[in-house]
Amino acid sequence: MTRSFRWVVLFFMFSTSQTVADSPLRFANVDVFIDSVEPLAAWQLEFSASAGVMQVVGVESGDSKAFDGAPYYDREAVAQGRADHIVVADFSLEDESELPSGRILVTTLHLMLSGDDVPGFDTRLIVATSYQGKRLDAEISIEISDGREQ
Amino acid sequence: MNKNKTNRRYPVAVFVAIAVVVAGCAAQSLPETETDRDSERGAALGGLEEIVVAGASGRASRPFPTPEVYAMQRLVASDSDGERILRYATDEEIWVIQTSDGSGAVAPDDEPGSGAMIGVIDSKEVPLPLRHTDVRAKISGYISTVNVRQEFSNPFDSKIEAVYMFPLPERAAVTEFLMVIGERKIRGILREKEEAKEIYEAARSQGYRASLLIQHRPNIFEQKVANIEPGQSIDVDIKYFHTLSYNDGWYSFVFPTVVGPRYNPPGHSDPVRALPRQDAASGGAAVRYLRPEERSAHDISIDVQIDAGVPIEEVRSTHKIVASQPTEYSASVQLANLSMIPNRDFTLDFRVAGATLKSNLLTYVDPESQQGYFTLMLYPPNVTDGLSRQNMEMVFVIDASGSMTGVPLEQAKDAVRAALDRLQEGDTFQIIRFSDNASQFGRVPVPATKQNRELARQYLRNLNGGGGTRMIEGLRAALDFPHDPSRLRFVSFLTDGYIGNEARVLGEVRARIGSSRIFSFGVGSSVNRYLMERMAKIGRGAVAYLKLQDSGYEVMGGFFDRISRPALTDVRIDWNGLAVSDVYPSILPDVFVGRALVVTGKYLGPANGVAVLGQQGNSDSRVVIDNTAETSGTLSLAKIWARMRIAELVDQQTAADDPHEEIANEIRATALKYQLMSDYTSFVAVDTSQRTAGEFGTTVHQAVPIPDGVRYDTTVEQE
Repeated sequence: MTRSFRWVVLFFMFSTSQTVADSPLRFANVDVFIDSVEPLAAWQLEFSASAGVMQVVGVESGDSKAFDGAPYYDREAVAQGRADHIVVADFSLEDESELPSGRILVTTLHLMLSGDDVPGFDTRLIVATSYQGKRLDAEISIEISDGREQ
Repeated sequence: MNKNKTNRRYPVAVFVAIAVVVAGCAAQSLPETETDRDSERGAALGGLEEIVVAGASGRASRPFPTPEVYAMQRLVASDSDGERILRYATDEEIWVIQTSDGSGAVAPDDEPGSGAMIGVIDSKEVPLPLRHTDVRAKISGYISTVNVRQEFSNPFDSKIEAVYMFPLPERAAVTEFLMVIGERKIRGILREKEEAKEIYEAARSQGYRASLLIQHRPNIFEQKVANIEPGQSIDVDIKYFHTLSYNDGWYSFVFPTVVGPRYNPPGHSDPVRALPRQDAASGGAAVRYLRPEERSAHDISIDVQIDAGVPIEEVRSTHKIVASQPTEYSASVQLANLSMIPNRDFTLDFRVAGATLKSNLLTYVDPESQQGYFTLMLYPPNVTDGLSRQNMEMVFVIDASGSMTGVPLEQAKDAVRAALDRLQEGDTFQIIRFSDNASQFGRVPVPATKQNRELARQYLRNLNGGGGTRMIEGLRAALDFPHDPSRLRFVSFLTDGYIGNEARVLGEVRARIGSSRIFSFGVGSSVNRYLMERMAKIGRGAVAYLKLQDSGYEVMGGFFDRISRPALTDVRIDWNGLAVSDVYPSILPDVFVGRALVVTGKYLGPANGVAVLGQQGNSDSRVVIDNTAETSGTLSLAKIWARMRIAELVDQQTAADDPHEEIANEIRATALKYQLMSDYTSFVAVDTSQRTAGEFGTTVHQAVPIPDGVRYDTTVEQE
């Protein structure tokens, strides 16, 4: 099953920091969650900009010990100059009992945004699989924020 | 954590690809029991000695210095007055100079704040951001996968940007980059270099933590880490693949620890400058050096796990190591001393049972594109009987610049003496020295008579070091005279390779090489191996290294015996119908006894019956390659192929005008497709989750020690 969600970022998000909003280049991050009843062993998702101009500047590990390394991203898309698009994937070799279920933060995507358009994002879960390699009926969601000053 | 579940299958190709990557790099647990084999190697590693030196000593004039004399030369070089106590270990070369000027910690004006937070160990410890480098390598056959962690922290009381120039092996295919903040790991993205710089600068100026990795030369990299707050740490993980060199039964794993001070000819547009630690110059590439009496807290740990695939007979290193051998085919090696000063290459050699080595072909097929990649390793027959020796025209080119002054120059002279002793009637020779200019022993190459060789020894005795490294002068003198067609011309460069204009020099080599062969002889503790390897590659020759503790006479003697009788000439490969493309090196060199030839390329279809053909003495030779029809390698083969392709393209670029940037575009495309660092691509990572407060802080350059055996005062630009 493929699920796709489109997210339009509310402008107020970028008004929280005047310095950032004034800059032609600004930064934000997107937490990506996968919600699965069954334990999650592997996943692959596609993230792209539906509006505005974005560049992915980092792909961060999630909060599950089962996925303790930084996820991998699709080389071809970046190589082809697809700065507005990235495919990210990860898998775990943990025992089934160690795999997470429920709503899991699988990755945080770090973004650089440019231009005046209000950015919008498309997120698509390409696949999520169980320990046995079975496709899971999982949901994907994202939360967007900019970097707040400490 | 269970890492052994290899029977699981994921339904998406990308997962297969990822699994291959991870499997290729997966840790193979080895027993923890460690046996210190150091003592078994006897005097080669030696023990700690304590020497009291009172002032300068006339003993320093001996032709080949013993370690003690060498140590004194170093002491004299750093400061010749007063009484010092010198602790010197033959394996570690650790110095503790017990003279204090009472100045306390060095706190230059351009460093942030005034509150250095690290402890002051002695009077000259300099607070700097790079705390530790951790190196973990896994060797499978002749392919090494290396993970390097650089641990940066801020010892000051205000925010900093850390900048560190560091070396990696010249053949390293740098393919992964992670910024680690506590438990968080942020994978860096490979971008075109200018784009990556722009991202980094924007993040830095807005207070985000960010890191950027830039390649200045194939073996010189610059790490920048922005917005490290006081007392905070940010680590950077780098992963690379490379092939090991093979020489007379020994494989060599090398991890360089410091970039040597480069000489840049006037007007050179892309220098790598050698600057004093406190120099505030900005723009361009520059390495900052600690003064001889200064130390930083930076230390290094190295762990190497070897799975040779054939029995390992012996392990040795330039450094004190702890080694164990869990099985006949494997070894586990760790650097013994964490307090080692990172001022010379770490070299780990392991000898394998020669009779068990077979030339082989490793293959890998990309599961998505079905593109095949191979690496062919040819071990020539280990016989010298029947190999003919043609008359030689031997040209020795000695680097007598400031960085070679002292031990390296003496070693180079010793090496030339060894070769002179092996010249035969019918040979001719020439000796050329270069620094700021070039001069030579004879007007033309002279016959290798007893009298001429004695005159040459006198010439060597009178040869002194000093000045810059204008290698092109030496190169022209060596190659720009008529070639005697009745003799094989061998040009042997003896140098540390500390130049900033490598591209220009390699371009000149390519343009002038003709039928000559180049044998580069790297002299010193931290040689510019990129220059040495590429000169030899373009010159269809070979390379040898002379470390500070080696005897130049012995190393050159063995090397000369090999090169004067090539095991295989006119080398070509019979692919037996296999559809190969993009094979590197594009021009196959002569093959020498005890030296392996590595060839890489792309292929389609089954790989069977490949053979290497050539002339062995006066007879034809055919070496059938032991290969498998199925995939036997890992994704690393694709990376290694891409890295060699980039190296060849760079060579082409140095020899040709590239007005339409066609070669540059090819390099860029290859690097991006295979996710490799290059002159045109850089890794960048930004942590956008939090902005640090205030301005972006002061840039602190990580100053490094001058390489062992090299004098600070003759190589680093004056303050």
